[in-house]
Amino acid sequence: MNRAFNDRESQKILDIIKNFARKNSLFILAYGTGCGAIEIPPTITSRYDAERFGIRGAATPRQADVLLITGYLSVKTLKRVIRAYEQMQDPKYVMGFGSCTINGGMYWDSYNTIKQLDKYIPVDVYINGCMPRPEAVIAGFVKLQQLIQQGKALGWKHYKENLEWYRQNQQKVIKNWRMPDYNW
Amino acid sequence: MADLQKENLLLEVLKNHFNDKIFDLKVQRHQRVHLRTTTEQIEAVLLYLKEKLGYKHLSHISCVDWIEENRFELVYILWHPEDKINVLVKVDVDRLNPVAPNIDYIWPQANTYEREMREMFGIQFPGLVGRKELILEDWDDLPPMRRDFDTLQYVMENFEFRSGREDAQNVRETIAKRTGEEIPEFAKKYSR
Amino acid sequence: MNIWNLLLSAIVTTLLGFIIGVTYMGIRRKIVALAQNRYGPPIYQNFLDILKFWSKESNIYHGVMHHLAPLWMIAMAITILLIVPTQYGSKFFENLSFNGDLILILYLMPFGQLGMALGVGQTGNPNSAIGVTRGLSLLVGSEIPFIMALIAVMIQYHTTSVTDLVRIQQEHHTWIMFSSPFAFLAALCVLPAMFHAGPYEVIIAPAELASGPMSEFGGKYLGTMMSAGSIFMFAKLTLFVDVFMGGSTNWLWLIVKTFTVYLFVIAVGIIMPRLRTEQAIRRLWGWPLVFAILAFIQVALF
Repeated sequence: MNRAFNDRESQKILDIIKNFARKNSLFILAYGTGCGAIEIPPTITSRYDAERFGIRGAATPRQADVLLITGYLSVKTLKRVIRAYEQMQDPKYVMGFGSCTINGGMYWDSYNTIKQLDKYIPVDVYINGCMPRPEAVIAGFVKLQQLIQQGKALGWKHYKENLEWYRQNQQKVIKNWRMPDYNW
Repeated sequence: MADLQKENLLLEVLKNHFNDKIFDLKVQRHQRVHLRTTTEQIEAVLLYLKEKLGYKHLSHISCVDWIEENRFELVYILWHPEDKINVLVKVDVDRLNPVAPNIDYIWPQANTYEREMREMFGIQFPGLVGRKELILEDWDDLPPMRRDFDTLQYVMENFEFRSGREDAQNVRETIAKRTGEEIPEFAKKYSR
Repeated sequence: MNIWNLLLSAIVTTLLGFIIGVTYMGIRRKIVALAQNRYGPPIYQNFLDILKFWSKESNIYHGVMHHLAPLWMIAMAITILLIVPTQYGSKFFENLSFNGDLILILYLMPFGQLGMALGVGQTGNPNSAIGVTRGLSLLVGSEIPFIMALIAVMIQYHTTSVTDLVRIQQEHHTWIMFSSPFAFLAALCVLPAMFHAGPYEVIIAPAELASGPMSEFGGKYLGTMMSAGSIFMFAKLTLFVDVFMGGSTNWLWLIVKTFTVYLFVIAVGIIMPRLRTEQAIRRLWGWPLVFAILAFIQVALF
């Protein structure tokens, strides 16, 4: 019995079923930073209707699958983003919006915004543009769905394996690291 | 169009009341009067403008860093809802020992502006109530809006850039090179 | 009837209730999307959501009660589904529909919410606590007219058994919604509140409460809660159909009847904006209570 469920072939079939469910049911955390949060309402309402793809808003990190970093991320917000990300349940995905999350964008010499998002939390899909329009956002979601189906969206695993590296980067930027104790 | 009757009348009233305590008194343009005073007189001037002349609304308190002249300049922008006149009251603060009077008993909303200036420029307002942090969090460097705070150096020390864009760091220069335009020397620093 | 037969029928009923309930939820999402001029998700979307929640690799929990709350909910939902007679005259789907059970159902119905309240208390999330408080207030609001309507029906037909009520309706070829219309109206008015749908969404208020009681539940806990909600919804619809619309003798007829009632709930939800808690209770104790009292007067006079 145990062997029947644990051999590689049945695991593969199970993964296909799981990934199909995961890719067609993406709950996005209703959390917006910067200017890109204004692109989310048109994306999920009548005009562009992201619910066709099973994309839906979730109110708390516990229920969400996708964390959208919509635009520039100040150091103060980064602290909250890390907490929200760590409270989400595996598997979880991160999408970076706009050039601000890729290389700082127009805030490249600002003292208060981070320049590379993937140094602090793992990013599965980047959408470039300033800001990306809802079409681009939906294209990004479709790309994320492809990655999930192929089993390549493994940022959450990467984060757990390289936690020390991420913590080091996070603590370099956040001077006063006072995170409350919580279990993930 | 520009009938400056009301503005000149205000100028007259202020000149008679304060004499030599205010200076640089002038009508800048239609609906805008400019004057300058000292930190000792600023509360008297603002109270007089509010209580006697009806400048009820404090639009903004702004701060300018004149690093070459070693002073901060606070600009109080007042608005008269009936006469429709903006009054710009400017006051100089010493840059090495920046202390300005706290005026949040005149306009409660001044509290927020003063806290912001305390945080961003390091100007002290004696008796100002409120948390030390308004926008920044755990900031341990120079107040960031001061001009002697080098933003680029701070960024280079604390953040890392993604490699691959070294050829196009200076967009303005790249465009100028392409079109054969010459950038003047003073504009080069701000044309990145 | 031997024990294996009973077990098999229980499992089949639960599975059917789950499938129908989840599909109804999906159809509801689709109809809401169409009403908002959208294409909407496929109607099997909620199955995928539940499957995804069950395939989450980490499931956080904050203690024993938090762990048990979804189980409590699904146990209550299945119990009520088994007590309510789904098929009249069917030996196989008789389940636990013994006589004298309407009062037991009314007694069991708040239990799911109470279990959730216990579990939520352990999470320590303030939003959840507010959500539970609102849920219990809404329960008080909807329960009083509903119970009054059911008591009027019970007095009129001199029975407390749902099976007897269904038998009376089937034998006389009439529905109670015609013979005692005021009780039916009272129950219909509080129906959206019992589903926490439509204008009575004060509990799961994503805008201000961050999904209320569920805000600390994730992964398989939320999946279980969604399944429990679907089964409970179908059980409540079946109860309503049994008491007021003559029950049914086959599954197709039951689906037609329950879906008609559910369509009413969906339509009310689409048309009406959300109420605040005190407005909701004032509305529930307004016309529904008047209808319930009229039902009593009807029973006393005729």
